Amino acid sequence: MTERGSAAGGGDRSDEAEDTGGDRRVSAVLAPLWTALDRWGLAATAGLTALIVGVVFYFPVVLVLRRAVVAGGRVTVAPVAAVLTDPFYVGVLADVLGNPLAVGRHLGAVVGFLTEFRLRLGTYHGLPWLYLVVPGVRTGLFGFTAYQALLSTVLSVAVGLPGAYVLSNYEFRGRRFLRSVTILPFVLPAVMVAIGFYAMFGAQGTLNDALGLLGLGDVNLLFTLKIVVIAHAFYNAPLIVRVTTAAWETVDRRTVETARSLGAGPRRAFLDVVVPQLLPAILTGALLTFIFTFLTFPIVLMLGGARLATVEVWVYRRIRELAYQEAAALAVVETVLSLGLTLLYLRYERRAASLGTGSVEDRDPLVPSLRSLVTPQRLAIVGYGALVVVLFVGPLASMILASVTNEGTLTLRWYRVLLERQVEGASFQTKPLPAVRNSLLFAGATLVVAVPMGVVVAVTTRRWRGGHLLETLAMAPLSVSGIIVGIGLLEGLVFGVDLPGPYRLVLTGPVAIAAAHAVAAYPFVVRSVGPLLSRIDRATVESARALGASRARTLLDVELPLVASGVVAGAAFAVAISIGEFDSTVILAEGGTTYTMPVAVERYLASRTLGPASAMGTIMLAVTAAAFVVVDRVGGRFER
Amino acid sequence: MVSIHLDDLGKRYGDTTALESVDLDIADGEFFTLVGPSGCGKTTTLRTVAGFEAPTEGTVRFGDRDVAGVPPEDRDVGVVFQSYALFPHMTVAENVGYGLRFADPPDGMSAEERVAQLLELVDLAEFGERDPESLSGGQQQRVALARALAPGPEVLLLDEPMSALDARLRERLRRQVRAIQSELEITTIYVTHDQEEALAVSDRLAVMHDGRVEQVGTPQAVYRHPATRFVAGFVGENNLFDAEVLGPTDDANRRVAVDGAEWVVPSPDEDGLGGASLRDQVTVCVRPEALSTDGGANELTVDVSEWSFLGESVRVHADWGGREVVVRLPDVPERDRLALGFDPEDAHVLDDQN
Repeated sequence: MTERGSAAGGGDRSDEAEDTGGDRRVSAVLAPLWTALDRWGLAATAGLTALIVGVVFYFPVVLVLRRAVVAGGRVTVAPVAAVLTDPFYVGVLADVLGNPLAVGRHLGAVVGFLTEFRLRLGTYHGLPWLYLVVPGVRTGLFGFTAYQALLSTVLSVAVGLPGAYVLSNYEFRGRRFLRSVTILPFVLPAVMVAIGFYAMFGAQGTLNDALGLLGLGDVNLLFTLKIVVIAHAFYNAPLIVRVTTAAWETVDRRTVETARSLGAGPRRAFLDVVVPQLLPAILTGALLTFIFTFLTFPIVLMLGGARLATVEVWVYRRIRELAYQEAAALAVVETVLSLGLTLLYLRYERRAASLGTGSVEDRDPLVPSLRSLVTPQRLAIVGYGALVVVLFVGPLASMILASVTNEGTLTLRWYRVLLERQVEGASFQTKPLPAVRNSLLFAGATLVVAVPMGVVVAVTTRRWRGGHLLETLAMAPLSVSGIIVGIGLLEGLVFGVDLPGPYRLVLTGPVAIAAAHAVAAYPFVVRSVGPLLSRIDRATVESARALGASRARTLLDVELPLVASGVVAGAAFAVAISIGEFDSTVILAEGGTTYTMPVAVERYLASRTLGPASAMGTIMLAVTAAAFVVVDRVGGRFER
Repeated sequence: MVSIHLDDLGKRYGDTTALESVDLDIADGEFFTLVGPSGCGKTTTLRTVAGFEAPTEGTVRFGDRDVAGVPPEDRDVGVVFQSYALFPHMTVAENVGYGLRFADPPDGMSAEERVAQLLELVDLAEFGERDPESLSGGQQQRVALARALAPGPEVLLLDEPMSALDARLRERLRRQVRAIQSELEITTIYVTHDQEEALAVSDRLAVMHDGRVEQVGTPQAVYRHPATRFVAGFVGENNLFDAEVLGPTDDANRRVAVDGAEWVVPSPDEDGLGGASLRDQVTVCVRPEALSTDGGANELTVDVSEWSFLGESVRVHADWGGREVVVRLPDVPERDRLALGFDPEDAHVLDDQN
């Protein structure tokens, strides 16, 4: 025992010339350092993660939200109460929240509302038709925000479920490819998506061109709730597809076969056995979609026009009008709601993860023969495929098309405009090349910082008790508005904070942006690494420990190689989130030269035509795709 | 090599108690088995020795060294799990050599020589470059054993290592493990729920139940003289009869009444009263093979309900006044009623009603 104990503890093996173990090559000078890293590395990384999240997330958020509850050095509920009792924000609930004890009056109002329902007989295309007349309700800003989030969630689920069905039940060429690119829309920068939607669904958009060819009338969806909801579905339906497909693939076919053998028909077996196993995943995805669309900002800002506004947009407007206290109060209410939803989501996700036992893979061929395409089921799938093309491929293709056309003719004019701007532009103007360079730099920095952070959080929360609470705290960046974080970073860290003693903490623009990106990205690393980590047999980790590997060493030698695919996916996420991040970046980059590609796209959008913006968007698409490929290639080497 | 001592070990998870005052002394080089039904605390005990769990009470000592707070990697233990837990991203040889990254191989060998030696030991010399997934379950478990032994640990911990294997393979591997253990003289703790395996393989064994140790002893002692009703029922098949003590017959025996029948059974002498026990309720344990059709001092006539042919013997389930009785007989012709008998020395008496 003593022999091995001292060798492991002292790190004095370095002077031996044997070359089998990698750590023996470390020179004698570095040996104590290595030992310290070995022993404390994990704890140190965890501490550093907590520090970064604390400084770059919790501190700025608290700084901003404090305005809502502290006025003139005293704690007050007045600003939050003002929001909660303002019909503009909370609609009919304002009276209830303002006078919670006037139960009689509120009940009266409910009864009054219910008696307002009317059935009216009318005609519809000449046919007699019954109309239900629903009395109007003032929903307020929060009501509208929740309403659009609900619509978006419903549409995302409706679009996503058939996709999950096809992907998990049929075999066809490119199935795996499709399954992996479902991640793509989710990480596309909102600005780019907005450009794509302008180009696809705008008055002169590709859709109207196509409809025109078919002799059908114009549709203009821009600046309506419809386009916002469709854009949200563009983002979140793939999310639904992903989680549902993952659950569907782990449904043990033998459970279905057992149900069939017990007398259930195919439909009944599906309802009784498959659906209950899918439901947790669908609900998890739906909850996540609701949270994301509740906090939506750039999509509504750019596609919704002046009339539509969500809470987040309003927070942004109030801040631009320097009404900080009201913005903070709004943000407090918003944050409480979304944190509550996140908590619900995390609880649900755990339950969803505990289901599923692995499956026997047997998928029907999607196109067994050409003749089979005529069956109703196959026809429906073909129709769905067309919808997917319009909704997902359409906007991106339209954006690329818009970047190389001008009034119907092919041209490279917009790229020349960008080039001229690069060469001749004044220093205060937004140039394309610095935007690309900044984006890549921030993406690199995010990768380096967010991946270790995410891995450490995943390890810590999965293996320790009390991990639930820690996980919720660590996941908070998912559910707090980027605007708030951005403002907090600007006020707190960019302008500087006094520390005890003669010190002053200042994070300059680029560092603040990179830190904000890392904090926004690492929850996604946690989400991609965590589930894989918990799938590793505990005995595998313990075997390594018993064989003499320290905790940190076990992580490097055993766990990370086994979850390499998750780490690579997390890294790709981190890069994509960083490149696409808009909310914090647009605030922190204000007036400086640290703008990124999405900020550049947004600034070019201000001009009359879609041209320069879509050219910039196309460049961004190319850079994002290239970054993805690089991460995947380089990361793929570590996978087995 | 080293001896292992558990003193008053306890483990609580919130309100549930996994272990309660476990005291065990395992000798240097001993093959010691923890046996019991699932949830009895045997695996928790093993994990506490390995350092994967910290006890809430009591101490674990290796020799005279208290190992509290010593992480698993510094305990010098080799562990083999039921699930093999091979590293799927390493070859067989890399798996076996993993522990040698942190400790020098014994006897001045190089790591390569040590890996080759261990693979030889478990008859897998040709398999070094294979992926673990390409091996059969039994082969994987032998790799796991070689991996655990490679750094030359002082203690070998085996957590249900055979449970995932089929019966025939299990037997063979068990003998192989035992042979290797005897050769290396390594202190070994073996966890199993299979009492037959525990009897076959151990120097000594501890029967555990509900987080407590019920009995410690050699396989023969535990089989012949179970200390509690639980042990009597768990280790080997047994017939347990509640009996009322009528009085002593002589120094070694006493008369008891079981459902109207009167039997003469041995008196436990640990109370020093020579049969005049203070208790009047005892449990009489009679092994199925102790009952015979050739008569004996004590008699019972049973109605046969099930007759199973086992090859060289038959097992008979029978009814004796509403109680089920199991009998093991040489291969005799089947019949409906059996007149059975046993002698006092073939019965075992439990004083405690627990």
